[in-house]
Amino acid sequence: MDELLNEYFNFEIMREAFPDVIRGFWFTIKLSVLAGILSLIWGLILAVLRQTPGKLGAIIRWPTIAYIDIMRGLPQLIIILLVFGFFGELADSGILPIEVAIPRWFGQPDPFWYGTLAITLCYGAYMAEVYRAGIEAVPPGQTEAARSLGMSHGQSMRYVIVPQALRKVIPPLLNDFIALMKDTSLVAFIGLQEVVQVGRDVQQTDFNSSALMLGAILYLIVTIPLARLLDYLIARQQRRESRGGGDDDNAGADPSMSSAGGVGLHGG
Amino acid sequence: MADDEAQTAAHEAPTTALPGAGVNESGAILSLRGVHKSFGKLRVLAGVDLEVQRGTVTCVIGPSGSGKSTLLRCINLLAPPEQGSIMLEGKELAQNVKGDDLDYVRQRVGIVFQQFNLFPHMSAIDNVSLAQRKVLGRSESEAKEKAESLLLRVGLGDKLDTYPDRLSGGQQQRVAIARALAMEPHVMLFDEVTSALDPELVKEVLDVMRELAAEGMTMVVVTHEMHFAKDVADRVAFMDGGVIVEYGPPAEVLGNPREERTKKFLGLVLEH
Repeated sequence: MDELLNEYFNFEIMREAFPDVIRGFWFTIKLSVLAGILSLIWGLILAVLRQTPGKLGAIIRWPTIAYIDIMRGLPQLIIILLVFGFFGELADSGILPIEVAIPRWFGQPDPFWYGTLAITLCYGAYMAEVYRAGIEAVPPGQTEAARSLGMSHGQSMRYVIVPQALRKVIPPLLNDFIALMKDTSLVAFIGLQEVVQVGRDVQQTDFNSSALMLGAILYLIVTIPLARLLDYLIARQQRRESRGGGDDDNAGADPSMSSAGGVGLHGG
Repeated sequence: MADDEAQTAAHEAPTTALPGAGVNESGAILSLRGVHKSFGKLRVLAGVDLEVQRGTVTCVIGPSGSGKSTLLRCINLLAPPEQGSIMLEGKELAQNVKGDDLDYVRQRVGIVFQQFNLFPHMSAIDNVSLAQRKVLGRSESEAKEKAESLLLRVGLGDKLDTYPDRLSGGQQQRVAIARALAMEPHVMLFDEVTSALDPELVKEVLDVMRELAAEGMTMVVVTHEMHFAKDVADRVAFMDGGVIVEYGPPAEVLGNPREERTKKFLGLVLEH
């Protein structure tokens, strides 16, 4: 029993590793926030492109759907490794200037930027699907009203549909963000010294998991409040909708119901 | 080609006796000929002819599923017809609908829906001013001024900053009417606008519509309110099975119908 306790909660090792673990976790936070924001934006762009109307719109619609399907169908780790290889090749062949092929912007190492790109590519696709569910949950009468007033498709999306969709999708987007945060640990595979990698290094030298455990605790300090917040938002939304706010009582089509169930659904 | 035939027929319209012809030969603002519309295999409109004179109120009555709402959606091209012609102020619309045609129609035709369809994330005044700014290019102050005067006119001067979920159904519907009027349409379409309202709220909406009619707005009103049709309509069209079965002044169609189907429908509606 003492050995088990020592394996996970050796305070001596925790204290020693603390600065490195914190530094690693700081990478995790930075990467999560940056990739999270970029995924939110990229996902919204994809979702709107996917709604392009008309026959000509298919030229935009189909590649967007293909992209989303591919990104959703691949493990995050593969995408990270492929992005890493791609830029390595670009750097070797000199197609891209070296500052772009091996970016060290804002004092962050290149795996940080490869990771940001790879996670955004993947989570943008996940989030596009969340936005889409939100857009489709806006009652069709809203589009009809906007169009009948003379607004173009783009205007009705921008001023009428998307603002309403955004309110509906905040909980599932937050859910995706929690999953994204956990997936940042995969960037360790291409050499980022984020929190899991720091813990692994200690595990391999000291044969002790306490540093990893410390990282796990740091993760939970962030993710558990987020999960509580998520539940609160869903409950609030349900209350609002059961109160019957107007004519949009399609609880069945509510995207927060469909995907909020499994935190970490996309986890690698 | 069938399209060409329909087009030719449309141009020859004045020579043929149409429902609606005769109120004022030169004043037809809207003229429908042979309008067909299907949704998949379901044929909803099976050749509708209708002429609407400027400044008149046409009420469309009929059982559920007779195609009344679809007719309105055809007119403003929310659901463009597959066949037939729609002339609006002398311009043919139903053939090869293009973006320009949509702009043309929607600048001239306003519609009010059964379910109000107010934008729930905006206050009443923003509901009424949004399209003015984005479509007509009015400045914010100009649009708000117009919105305020319209909301005042429909009796909601004290609800400018209220959101739809804090308004009763009747109030929401009046905001929706103000929103459509803000675009200064030449024709207003009303799609069963009182059907989703509690009985005690129906009157406030109908009163606004009566005023509009009295001011000379051209209106096409799909409704189940027979009293409104009797009092306000210049013409009543009874629809069943995707066609206009009977058409004429309200005294004739409602008071002394010729067609069996009209009699049967009115019998069912007026019984209670």
